[in-house]
Amino acid sequence: MGIKRIKRDQHSIKDKLYLPAIATGMITTFKHFFKNLKNTSNIKTLQYPEEQPTDITDKYRGVHRLTKREDESIKCVACYMCSTACPADCIDIEAIERTDGQDEKMPKKFSIDLLECIYCGYCVEACPCDAIRMDTGIFSFIGDKREDFIVDKDYLLNNIRSKDFDDK
Amino acid sequence: MSTSTIIISINIFLVVLLAVGIAPILIWWERRVAGFIQDRTGPNRCNIGGIRLGGLIQSLADMLKLFFKEDFLPSHIKYKFFFTLAPILVFFCSFLTFAVIPFANDIIIDGKSYMMQAIPTKLGILWFLAFAGITVYGIILGGYASANKYALLGSIRASAQVVSYEAAMGLSIISMVITYGSIHLNDMVIYQDSLIFGFIPAWGIIIQPIAAIIFIITAFAEANRAPFDIAEGESEIVAGYHTEYSAMRFGLFQVGEYAAMSALSAIIVTILLGGYTIPFIPQDTIQSNIYIVLFIVAIIVPIKAFFLTKWIKRNNNWIDKNDPRSKETKKLVKFFWITSILISSLLILLFIIGLSTNGINILTAIIQITVFLIKFFLVTLFFIWIRWTLLRFRYDQLQMLGWKILLPLSILNIFITSLIVVIKGL
Repeated sequence: MGIKRIKRDQHSIKDKLYLPAIATGMITTFKHFFKNLKNTSNIKTLQYPEEQPTDITDKYRGVHRLTKREDESIKCVACYMCSTACPADCIDIEAIERTDGQDEKMPKKFSIDLLECIYCGYCVEACPCDAIRMDTGIFSFIGDKREDFIVDKDYLLNNIRSKDFDDK
Repeated sequence: MSTSTIIISINIFLVVLLAVGIAPILIWWERRVAGFIQDRTGPNRCNIGGIRLGGLIQSLADMLKLFFKEDFLPSHIKYKFFFTLAPILVFFCSFLTFAVIPFANDIIIDGKSYMMQAIPTKLGILWFLAFAGITVYGIILGGYASANKYALLGSIRASAQVVSYEAAMGLSIISMVITYGSIHLNDMVIYQDSLIFGFIPAWGIIIQPIAAIIFIITAFAEANRAPFDIAEGESEIVAGYHTEYSAMRFGLFQVGEYAAMSALSAIIVTILLGGYTIPFIPQDTIQSNIYIVLFIVAIIVPIKAFFLTKWIKRNNNWIDKNDPRSKETKKLVKFFWITSILISSLLILLFIIGLSTNGINILTAIIQITVFLIKFFLVTLFFIWIRWTLLRFRYDQLQMLGWKILLPLSILNIFITSLIVVIKGL
């Protein structure tokens, strides 16, 4: 059997000397440095609180909202499907009898603990009435104490679909 | 106060400024340059009353934080004295290296000559070698006293690295000493003020290229900076020798690291890049044409201010118009214009009044210090630039480079240098 010698790269004097390669690398980094020093507006860094992100698509799972029927009454029928599906167990529902003739039940209390929520979207998929959605586009929710993060039915009903999303 | 006291205190002030005062600036610069190299901004939000200075305030805030942080000492540490001594040692050795750097040529006042060094000694390069060697003791002591595996590993790596690189560094310095014929740093700088073949400045980097490359490489190893920062290789040994350190003890290590970097930059400027001299313009030319120099500087300063303020106006802005930070640009532009006009008018005033011999000598010294500082900052930029370009060497590659390449090369260089010196002497 003949031995086949494979010629390896990086064995020329230029490669072994290291310095030409280092110089090439330094020229590259200096180009970046000089370009950004000359005009800092080339930098893609988002100056966050002043500049808001623009790349949130309508598949983004933000803070939840509860949808309404055409007559402004709540769509939710308190079936507990979402709280059953919830892996973080963060949805707390209390049902009462519905009096407006639309359905049998409606939630008296519908609260979500946003600190426990993992934003998986299972509640949206579990809902049979399309009553809960996560299309508000809210990615940052601020509070001073833990209680602030338990949002109630009124807050969720007042959330609307993000205006940045194109309506379908 | 006698003249020598004043001159020595000016030099000590310069040393303190370059060794300690420069650390926040270098940290800021490191972060900003790293940001720009990697296409991000780096720190730029911290402000005092809207003044950000391009993020320099962030360094002050960090320093303040380190000062007020709890000085935590792990209870398993037996040798508390050595644990505390280590960062002090690192800091002071780098600090003392500066003492022999000539910031300007010997200044002559009333016929008496004074050295522009913090310690007026002619030991020069020997002083530097002595304290560069001791710096690593601080790191070893810190790692050993920490009683921590990672810290010990880090300090062992540091000592192995210094053992293998100090030899090459010493030998490369020997070949330079042979060329310059002196160990006094100011003599070296005066040698570099001449021209070879009448048109190339006789800088160390040009007349001793191999020794210069070896010295720069070993200087990086000596300062424990990338690509030779295996002593704190955070991917393998947490934070190396300063794993157990926190608060101002850690801060002192960090300041020491930057002081070492600036000390080595100053040494590189002095022995390789012509120190305080301006290429093609020897000191006599400056002194005999001092009024032309004054006039040129008085014109250059407002032009510089014009370009600087133009750059600030384009790049220093803030989106929110109600924030005090959006008004910073106006203040800075005003400040730079007023400063430059003041400097120019002062120079023109000197131009009109005229200068005595002492005045000419002092002005020359100021020009030389400025030139030294410009070169110094460019070299520190080079240090930072290298750090954010190159990857860390693997431990065996590092030893291979030190013993198998740099050491034989520096010995060969000594032979060649001595041969040339002897032939030239014949």
